[in-house]
Amino acid sequence: MSILIPLLILVPLACALVIFFSGPRAKAMAPFGILAAGLTLLLSIGLCFEVYQTPSKLTGVPGTIEPTIEPKVTFISESLRFVLPISVGGQPIDWQLSYGADGISALMVLLTGIVGFFTVWLAHSQIKTRTETYIALLLVTISMLMGVFLAMDLLSFYIFFEAVLIPLILLIHGWGDGKNPQAASKRFLLFTLAGSIPMVVGLISLAMSPLANGQPSTVAFSELSKIASQTVASGIPIGTKDTWAVWLLLLGFGIKLAILPLHTWLPMTYAAAHPNTTSLVASVVAKLGLYGILRIVIPLTPEALSIEAQMIIGTLGAIVIVYGALVALAKDNLREVLAFSSLSHVGFITLGLMSLTREGLGGAALQMFNHGLITAAMFWILSMLEQRHGPISLKSEDRGLAAQYPKLAVLLVFFTLAGAGLPGLNGFVGELLTMSGMMRVCATLVAIAVLGTVLGAWYGLRIVQRLLFGSDGPRLHAHHRPLTGADLSVNEWVPLVTVAILCLYIGLFPMRTMKLFQPDTDRLARVVEPVSKQVHRDMDTLAVQPTNP
Amino acid sequence: MDLIQITKAAVGHLTPEILLLIGGTLVMCASVLTGKPLRQDLHTERNNFAVASLLCLLAAMAVRYWQGVPTVSDEDIGLFRFDASALAAERLTFLGGLILILMSWSTAPKGRLAEYYGCLLIILAAIPIVGASNDLVSMFLGLELVSIPTYILLGIVKSDNSGAEATLKYFLLSAFASCFFLLGISYLYGFCGSTNLSVIQGSFGEGKRLMALGLLLAICGLSFRITAVPFHFYAPDVFEGTSVTMAGAMSYLPKVAGFVALIRLIGAGTLSPGASAVVIPVLLGCAALTMCVGNLLALAQNNLRRMMAYSSVAHTGYLLLAFVALIRQDASPGVMFSYLAAYAAMTLGLFACLGEIEAAGGKSHLIGDLAGMFQRRPAASIGLTVALISLIGLPFTAGFWAKFMVFVGTVADRRVDSISMLMGALMAINAVIAAGYYWRILSTIYSKSESNVPLRVFRPSLFFAYTICTVLTILWFFVPSAM
Repeated sequence: MSILIPLLILVPLACALVIFFSGPRAKAMAPFGILAAGLTLLLSIGLCFEVYQTPSKLTGVPGTIEPTIEPKVTFISESLRFVLPISVGGQPIDWQLSYGADGISALMVLLTGIVGFFTVWLAHSQIKTRTETYIALLLVTISMLMGVFLAMDLLSFYIFFEAVLIPLILLIHGWGDGKNPQAASKRFLLFTLAGSIPMVVGLISLAMSPLANGQPSTVAFSELSKIASQTVASGIPIGTKDTWAVWLLLLGFGIKLAILPLHTWLPMTYAAAHPNTTSLVASVVAKLGLYGILRIVIPLTPEALSIEAQMIIGTLGAIVIVYGALVALAKDNLREVLAFSSLSHVGFITLGLMSLTREGLGGAALQMFNHGLITAAMFWILSMLEQRHGPISLKSEDRGLAAQYPKLAVLLVFFTLAGAGLPGLNGFVGELLTMSGMMRVCATLVAIAVLGTVLGAWYGLRIVQRLLFGSDGPRLHAHHRPLTGADLSVNEWVPLVTVAILCLYIGLFPMRTMKLFQPDTDRLARVVEPVSKQVHRDMDTLAVQPTNP
Repeated sequence: MDLIQITKAAVGHLTPEILLLIGGTLVMCASVLTGKPLRQDLHTERNNFAVASLLCLLAAMAVRYWQGVPTVSDEDIGLFRFDASALAAERLTFLGGLILILMSWSTAPKGRLAEYYGCLLIILAAIPIVGASNDLVSMFLGLELVSIPTYILLGIVKSDNSGAEATLKYFLLSAFASCFFLLGISYLYGFCGSTNLSVIQGSFGEGKRLMALGLLLAICGLSFRITAVPFHFYAPDVFEGTSVTMAGAMSYLPKVAGFVALIRLIGAGTLSPGASAVVIPVLLGCAALTMCVGNLLALAQNNLRRMMAYSSVAHTGYLLLAFVALIRQDASPGVMFSYLAAYAAMTLGLFACLGEIEAAGGKSHLIGDLAGMFQRRPAASIGLTVALISLIGLPFTAGFWAKFMVFVGTVADRRVDSISMLMGALMAINAVIAAGYYWRILSTIYSKSESNVPLRVFRPSLFFAYTICTVLTILWFFVPSAM
């Protein structure tokens, strides 16, 4: 039982409510919001330490059947027992909700804490109208995101997963400053619901699956993942069970992570929303789909996934890497360039997840964190540029911003290189691991994905060249606007530099970060790798059997 | 116990309803008894009638509270049966009645207050009678006791052309539906030789064709009350042609009556395989059609009332799915009652907000009329927002559990066959379509508009009505077992 878990969800929510209901004094409440986000960040760091120090209770002896999801820090209360006034097949619906964190959750909570805090911090100066309401809605979003990452049962996961939508559509609808935020928010809502409502059918059928063995229905991840491990161990031949539920789940998560044919909400939303909102959406909210796959689809339905969808989703992931990169190359509006580049990078994580290997899963978890940091930083920089120059287009803005904003230029180059996967920075580690994981399953997909890293460097350098080091030919004078705005203020460079140091640290010492969550991904890989191997018989067999350190 | 004793006991248990019936009759006679014309200004008159009706309702609630849960042995042979379903129906009715009386406080038609409140109270008495009926006769009696006051109410709240159209349409179609129902139950009686529902349900297993025909005809008759497709045609015209409060009442009260009658007629697990082979496909088809038609037509509306009418049709579709889950396996009727409770809170809340906007001098006819409402009337807009989020089915509102439980009921059926899976998926698609048009209203409320004149007239009764609804909508999310 750790008090940190309810606090992480409730502190930002309570502070948001205080801001909402502070009436005429609301105008002065923005600093209070920053304080609340800072407190949340501290709590999330505390949670990481607690998870890091708690030893695993599982034996890890090969042959024993153990759940693949083991929350190290838990919060389970009798008062969180949900009794719905219905019964199905004579069985009452009586589900115990539980919250907790393992390494993967802790990592995502930390990401939410960092990005959330700095987004709120920057919003204070970047949002001009109704700042306090905006900050309050951001805090609600952070609280809901914490709920998703700390949920240890299907029901709370789904409730928070859906609830993230409510503050977000309000943020996009109310503060979007791009073209047509109303249409964008509507599309965002409908796309997300189109995924998440069918998903509930899949979740319910997962929760009901123990009924087939005569056990009461349950929603707890640990119990369900134990049942999944049992099924894998029982050796019932693959292909005799119904597998439709996995598609409903993948539809929901696929839309959230913008897998290829379902991605159209993403560029539209990113182009319409304020970059400050987008930084949170792109770095954390877009990870919800990936997190859902890692938390629910892979541990709870490993067999159905590997039979039905593993290669299809993997292929889509590889395609989206190249597609996103190519579109990013063709676009001129910097918001759209960043949107498609984000799409492309998420493809690597998808690839890693769908490899269902030890390296792939570990790399995907790490890359979720890395990509979150890098994307958030890119959108913060974009937001700072827009604050000074209005909409940024790569076509007309070739005016050598580096001379004007040297600090900003250094940081932009840094994050572009981190995103492009320069060795020594964090993007490299994650992408390498995801690709080497996929390499064991299907080398063709990796060959396609590698193209994405080349293209990624290309469009990254294009941004840098056009924006920072543009020609100073005659067009410079023709389009030259008076030099407005100073270089980054302390308020602005502190978040960027903090994140940059973190990126460098992970790039130099990736194993230290991975220690946090690797036991969890390894435990997962130990169950799902054999399943994947049964389906893909030509999968590499030379890899060392994953062991639990 | 013989029949006389059982009937006596039943009358004892029906005290709240009898109280309401007497109250309704007295209220209706009040304008005559006190001498016409009443020497009071309109304001006092409104207060008097509303307080009198509210007291009747509260007295009925208090009686039920102190009487406790009735225990009747040999309950199968009497006219009435008091079980969990009957009590749930009564609770739903009283909840709706409370909100509707609050909504009527300032919107009831002047000059016809006595008739208005009298009819309303009689409807509130009639639905629990349907819910407690254990006999075709008492059920039909209850249903007609709902319909006839409804005609009068529709007739008196609005006297223009659209009001007349709505009344006439409802009257003719309702009479027609009652004929269907009568024909159906006459077959049932003819086959079973008894009007007692326990006896009828006991013999569901024997006859195949005739029994199913009778059941289907009765279901057709009830489909009109619950606005199931293809008996929904009156709904948009009636909603459009009547007052906001009556539109709220029409979306809720007949639905409760129709669904409790369905639950009474076909109980959980009473159908034989033969009869269910006929009835279940019809019900599933009806549910699918109702969802799709309701949502697709709602998507095309610009008129808020017509949109809400079609949305009410769509919700009937979801409820029919829950009903199929109920009769096909032993899912408890709780699914439907919870859904209806959530539906009451969100729909009546929405109509109460619209009522307040109209009472304050705004318009709520077209969706565009709500433009900029957040600036003009923040409190009602927040009420609308909660109601709409609940109608979409997002978390932290009762609507989330309502949809979730229908999904649970439907998907758990998967052990039976794969059709219910498809129905679950179809309902999911429909829920997304519905989100589209509800979001249109939400988006309009928060948009900017030229006429930013704040609406300042304050109606406490309407404010209380939608506050109760909003609080319940949010509270029920956290305590779903109380729904």
